[in-house]
Amino acid sequence: MKKPRRGTVSEELNITSMMDMFTIILVFLLKSYSTEDISVAASAEMQLPLSTSAVKPKLAVNVVVSKVGVIVDGVPLMALTKKADESGREWIAVPDEEKKGQMITRLYDRLLEKAEQAKRIAEATASEEHAFKGEILMQCDKELPFSVIREVMYTAGQAQFSNFRFVVYSTTS
Amino acid sequence: MAGKRAEAKEEPLNLLPVMNLVSILIPFLLMAAQFVTLAVIDSTLPAIGPPQEVETPPDKPPLMLSVAVTNEGFTVMGADAVLNPQGAPPSADAGPTVPCAERPCATPQSYDYKALTDLLNQIKDQYPDDETVILVPESRIPYEVLILLMDATREDVNKKDDKGKSRLLFPNVVIAGGAG
Repeated sequence: MKKPRRGTVSEELNITSMMDMFTIILVFLLKSYSTEDISVAASAEMQLPLSTSAVKPKLAVNVVVSKVGVIVDGVPLMALTKKADESGREWIAVPDEEKKGQMITRLYDRLLEKAEQAKRIAEATASEEHAFKGEILMQCDKELPFSVIREVMYTAGQAQFSNFRFVVYSTTS
Repeated sequence: MAGKRAEAKEEPLNLLPVMNLVSILIPFLLMAAQFVTLAVIDSTLPAIGPPQEVETPPDKPPLMLSVAVTNEGFTVMGADAVLNPQGAPPSADAGPTVPCAERPCATPQSYDYKALTDLLNQIKDQYPDDETVILVPESRIPYEVLILLMDATREDVNKKDDKGKSRLLFPNVVIAGGAG
């Protein structure tokens, strides 16, 4: 009776299961793939509110107002502070030295630059698509008091941005 | 010599090239995947917003619908024909039109958005052509309340037409300076 030859038995790695898993993940990621004009950097200081709105955002001047500061088109502009009211409760507010009345001076200067730049581009291209429409995207943290939002909106209005688009997380697919 | 019969040998499928492709695609798609959807809500400033020309019958006063937001609830103004059909003006101590269940309103979710939407439905029945609402929040009202309020005034998701679209209430939002 012949004995089976002893030797190293090499078996090929069975990757069928891994292929199944990768295929399913690939299909899911292909479905989730999208390119958006704007991005949101969610963090502890910057959480957008939820909304039923389903209007897609378009590219415009982007103002991010988080709990700690204001960022315009990705460039940090100024920091926010906390003030206590009569009851001792602290509220996020714009520092007094940054304001003249309701207007935030540094934000006004930056937005005015953006407005002038947009108008120059509109004149150079002379196309309706690139016309300056005064649109501004507002990404604000959901816990900010309305006083801060109001001052930012007033400042933007003075800098010729009157069409506000509040960016939110959509709850409708 | 007998010829050897060539036997059909079954080769196992080589999945390695496919695995390479998938392994490269997955990190790229992970970076581009969107797990939350962004949307925008349009609004204008009161002084620069477009004027609304609404043709109303001469015997009907124009609607200047405003919703003030305090830490006790919502106060609806400008629709006296619906809010005070008897003609009696509200007293100063009447409190908010749509109060929170417990006052002061502890969280943004404490406000009664559904009751406000129901009231706005009644106003819309009387003024179907008007689409503008002015929001007047207090200084300390959180931004989240403002967004949820805009949702409540924009449309009624519980009333859908034959095509499944929600009933449009007052989608043009104007944010006023604030109540304090």
